[in-house]
Amino acid sequence: MRLRLLKRFDVPSRSDLLVFAGYCAAAAVYIVIGVAYNDFLLSVIVGMGYLVLAVWLVPAVVRRLRR
Amino acid sequence: MSWAAHDLEPYAFQRHLNLKVAFVPLLIGSYAPDLATKWFVYGIHLGPWELKASNPAQFHRGWPGFGFTHSLIFGVAIGLLIWKVFGSKLWAISFLIGHWAHALTDTGDTVGTMLLFPWTFHFHLDAWAYAGQTGRFTDAAAYFSGLGGMWDLVWIVYGFFSWRVLTSVYFDNFIYRADAFWPWANRVVPRGALIALYRAAFFYGTSRWIAWTIWAHVIHHYPYDLSWGGPHWVPAEHP
Repeated sequence: MRLRLLKRFDVPSRSDLLVFAGYCAAAAVYIVIGVAYNDFLLSVIVGMGYLVLAVWLVPAVVRRLRR
Repeated sequence: MSWAAHDLEPYAFQRHLNLKVAFVPLLIGSYAPDLATKWFVYGIHLGPWELKASNPAQFHRGWPGFGFTHSLIFGVAIGLLIWKVFGSKLWAISFLIGHWAHALTDTGDTVGTMLLFPWTFHFHLDAWAYAGQTGRFTDAAAYFSGLGGMWDLVWIVYGFFSWRVLTSVYFDNFIYRADAFWPWANRVVPRGALIALYRAAFFYGTSRWIAWTIWAHVIHHYPYDLSWGGPHWVPAEHP
């Protein structure tokens, strides 16, 4: 079998990476809280609520306040 | 039992099945076998009372007990019920895929699952120790010290490899279009929040994997034991 290079690499765009960075920041805070207070890690509902708060609600409120 | 695989597996299926599955029932199916039982396996305190199964492994995976929730026929039964009640074959099949993935993944530990219930034989690969009977925290420490935690890591890596599944473009073109749930939810919940909800299980599974690993190995220094059936410093349950 002969190997050949892919015609193009499937890499994320700049905007994808920006979104990813936001999620990484949210994850870092979640992990710090979770390591300190383990109960925070136990509920998927808490995890989902936290994520919506951190990556959607807070940025939406900040955007509105800046207008 | 698995701590993060059930959060992550649905995204791997989604990558390959695209419009052929609905994500919400797929995820619910992936959580379903433990939904009603996990709290009683670990126990909870209600004032002066502790509510906990006298034999957690038997209660969780055995018969008599609620082990039938981890059987293939249970997934079929609930899937048929969903089809009948909601009139959606897509929801039924998606639930079934998620449920079967959970039941099969849990065969990886030392107790395993009664896949072919009412035949009560436990299918178990013995790759990692079942330690639910030791309580939530020892179980977490053991799980993230053995091959169970590594198995979760496989799903995390595969999830990042499948990163396109997590993009907003994919959400619009596949997740939203495949299932009437999302347009219905979008009447009251903005698109941005729906995308965050869609990504939430992956975020939750990955973040808690990292958090529990730090807790077990940086804060508490539990030893890693990646041998088959490990970690052997915890008393593993067997069927």
